[in-house]
Amino acid sequence: MSIGNTDETVATDAIVPDSITATALPANGDGLVSRKPTARVQVVKPLEVSTDTAQKHPPNSLRNTGIVSVFFWLVDELRRFIGGGSSSAANDSKSTGSTSTINLFITYFNHAILLIIFFIISIYKNYLYVRRRIHLKFLNLTYFPNKSPHIIRDDVNKLSRIPKRVSCIVNFKDEEEENGGIDGLINDISELTAWSVSAGIQELSIYEYNGVINDYYLELNRYINKNLKNYFGTEYVPNISIKSPHSSKVLVNKPEKPIDLYVNLLSKVDGKPTIVELTKTISELAINRELSVKDITIDLINDELVELVGSEPDLMIIFNPNLDLQDYPPWHIRLTELYWEPDNKDITYAVFIRALQNYAKAKVNVGK
Amino acid sequence: MNPNLSTPSSTQAPLVSAGTLKKLLFAFPLFAYLQGFFKDLVISIMKTGPVPQHVAVIMDGNRTFARKRNLPLKEGHTAGAESLVGVLDACYRLGVSCVTIYAFSIENFHRSKEEVDTLFGLLREKLNYLSQNEDSYAMYNKVQVKIIGNKAMIPEDILKDLERVEERTNHNFGKRVLNVCFPYTSRDDITGAIRSISEKRINHEINKEDINMDLLDISMYFGPETPPLDIMIRTSGHTRLSDFMIWQCNYDCTLEFVDTLWPDFKFFDIMAILFKWGYYKTLETEKLKHLGKRKAKLHQTAQDILKDLPAHPPYRSVSDR
Repeated sequence: MSIGNTDETVATDAIVPDSITATALPANGDGLVSRKPTARVQVVKPLEVSTDTAQKHPPNSLRNTGIVSVFFWLVDELRRFIGGGSSSAANDSKSTGSTSTINLFITYFNHAILLIIFFIISIYKNYLYVRRRIHLKFLNLTYFPNKSPHIIRDDVNKLSRIPKRVSCIVNFKDEEEENGGIDGLINDISELTAWSVSAGIQELSIYEYNGVINDYYLELNRYINKNLKNYFGTEYVPNISIKSPHSSKVLVNKPEKPIDLYVNLLSKVDGKPTIVELTKTISELAINRELSVKDITIDLINDELVELVGSEPDLMIIFNPNLDLQDYPPWHIRLTELYWEPDNKDITYAVFIRALQNYAKAKVNVGK
Repeated sequence: MNPNLSTPSSTQAPLVSAGTLKKLLFAFPLFAYLQGFFKDLVISIMKTGPVPQHVAVIMDGNRTFARKRNLPLKEGHTAGAESLVGVLDACYRLGVSCVTIYAFSIENFHRSKEEVDTLFGLLREKLNYLSQNEDSYAMYNKVQVKIIGNKAMIPEDILKDLERVEERTNHNFGKRVLNVCFPYTSRDDITGAIRSISEKRINHEINKEDINMDLLDISMYFGPETPPLDIMIRTSGHTRLSDFMIWQCNYDCTLEFVDTLWPDFKFFDIMAILFKWGYYKTLETEKLKHLGKRKAKLHQTAQDILKDLPAHPPYRSVSDR
């Protein structure tokens, strides 16, 4: 198993797995909550299938492109523009005479200028890309956790405040890419977990568009614990609870001890589809006169969605080259502070700590 | 003569600063003409590329602007309103059909009573100004003003005025729409949609199977005729959404957080954002087109091989004789 590029020191067979107890989500609470999982599973599933075949990648995932290919595309675009424009404008020119030909020419001219500007922008963007990458490389050298919780806690203690709940949008990279595939994702998540525990964050949500990580539950748990042992030693490993709200699975390593970090695995089904399901349940209740329409308030919906998906995060770190929310659960991004590093693809400690620094600086004033 | 020239921008500034020189320069008719010409050119160039359908703006920074320049609060809001007209003009001339502004959040009711009243008054004043007579901005440019939000929370006299504005601009229903979110929060919007769907279910207008994402979408305040959101802009550097269109902006929408304060946000700032959007949109469509072409070709050859093979000899099987 080749996991990541930063963990050569880990010997796979030397670590004995912890006593893993997988427990189903306790169906506590009254009527409304307990009847939901069954209703959700029924209708969310076909939705999932249809979206998966339509598109695997989240929208807007392509950003940086080579100058040469941009040039060819733009030339192609211009050719098509002129070709398409002249065929449709041919009828017009007969009726209105010479003025429309002039207009047509001006339009082509303007479009050509637009494409030339686009081409210049593409050169500039590539320059920016290189500059930012160098900057990030430099930052990665400056902020290096060295697998030591003390260093991380020292970094964090310079800040005036830290978020209680952090959410991270991560991308599933191709197998061929560096630190890609499912192993790379597991490695990244385990690193994030270790940093969050060291920083003192209570809850960490991991959002991945397609939710591929949900199938690799036990592997993820094993690897997180292995990684935590690198940070904290084998004697006292922090107690982690991993939860996937959609499949209502909870995994706690040591159920008898207090939990140091809750890890929440989210995907796009926890967003709008869950709200649609909630609407169905609520309208059913309203029909059966168990709930009056007047009682449907923001607080009720909020309580239900907190139960179903989790609390609203204080800080969201988007490990993406551009700012894109990728269909993240909409209810949960009301006042969340967003942080992203332009042109950054990797999940590194430098980005993580800079996000926390940015959070400490930001001023929150609701409505004021 | 530019009226701004007579008001000193700051007390300790030297007599001739870069700002005053710039203002003096802009005051020349020739320069103003050139600037107008340049703006027209930029717009006609950008019109030939992809243009967003729906732009939303969180106008943040009026108070900071006033505080920085030692102006009364009201001046900050007035400067913001001026800036809004400029941005609206740029967007509509470019061909953006729908602009949404966050005028007042439900959370804003927590502010002091005076400021809430000032904001209400200002909004009423500005909307009246936009649509008062035949050559006001909204009437002349055929912009339909829509009030979006929880209307039950608006004081009655103001609501009456706002409805009159809506009514007056309604006859030119068409391409250009200005959505004024007042008082609005997205969570309230989503809750309202769920409530209205439940009501419809009680009245047996729809079945359980009819409830889906699209129904929720059109049950919100924005309604079915609003195009999907393309760009969301927030000024003055906060990287938060503050409960504004969180349902609409989280998929296939460009979020832009700018450091400029809203009163300083002018024509070229908005154009830069729209330009950037157009650039990425062009690249995206081109890339998809090329990917699609290649995929289609691969698929075709795979199928054609089997079809193009010569016919095989007849079957002879032991099972079905």
